[in-house]
Amino acid sequence: MEVVLHLPVVPNVELVAAKAVETVGGALGMHQTGIEAASVAIVEACLNAMEHGGGQMVVRMSTDTFDGKPGLVIEVEDQGEGFDPSEAPRNSASRVHGCTSKRGWGLTLIRELMDEVQIRSNPGKTQVRMCKYVENAP
Amino acid sequence: MNDEQMKLQKDIVADGFGLIAAAGYINNEGGQAIADAATELIDDGCQTLLIDLDGTRIINSIGVSILLEIMEKLLEDKGRLAFCNLTPTISKTFEIMGLVQYATIYPDQDEARTALIGAGSD
Repeated sequence: MEVVLHLPVVPNVELVAAKAVETVGGALGMHQTGIEAASVAIVEACLNAMEHGGGQMVVRMSTDTFDGKPGLVIEVEDQGEGFDPSEAPRNSASRVHGCTSKRGWGLTLIRELMDEVQIRSNPGKTQVRMCKYVENAP
Repeated sequence: MNDEQMKLQKDIVADGFGLIAAAGYINNEGGQAIADAATELIDDGCQTLLIDLDGTRIINSIGVSILLEIMEKLLEDKGRLAFCNLTPTISKTFEIMGLVQYATIYPDQDEARTALIGAGSD
């Protein structure tokens, strides 16, 4: 199964990607909690792509296995200037408490909510690849 | 799950105790709508706010950042903020972003009202 979305930068377009996660995750038999976690993660990845990507983004969904465990694979790709993922700080509550700006949570949430995350970034192409294992409801 | 439009109700349910029921996507607009309702309740004398997120399934970090601002405003005024009816993912997101360090989470509105109104009358 593969889904590919070419999304323009328009308000709330991230919800189109979240809806696709809901549909594909449901078809794979994912638990609702896993679907909701993947939905928040893809929303954050799309918001980052819209903010830094400089134009249309591409979202791909597919399935793969990880040490024998089936998983939903999500890729969000943009054509922005890129960044060094190793330099992207992991945000924390103590860092933002009392600060005027409370932004900068996207990658932190993605890493916490998904089971596997890989970020490849070069000038002109940034790809966030993330996986949520399919863990069926008991 | 992906209803965009935030449906929001606010009410003063006891002396100094305001309730906001919010269902929908908590993005910048949804977060701001909750913040505006919270500010109105605080201006009306509420020092304890309960935000019921029954019906909210999807959030983003920009919307939650606005909720963090409400929390800090309440804390400055020695107020209290509580949430109820969170999905496991929203609860985990609040934990990651630090809301649970300063706000109390209740499973449902009945339990929250009992605890908060009871505590307020001590």
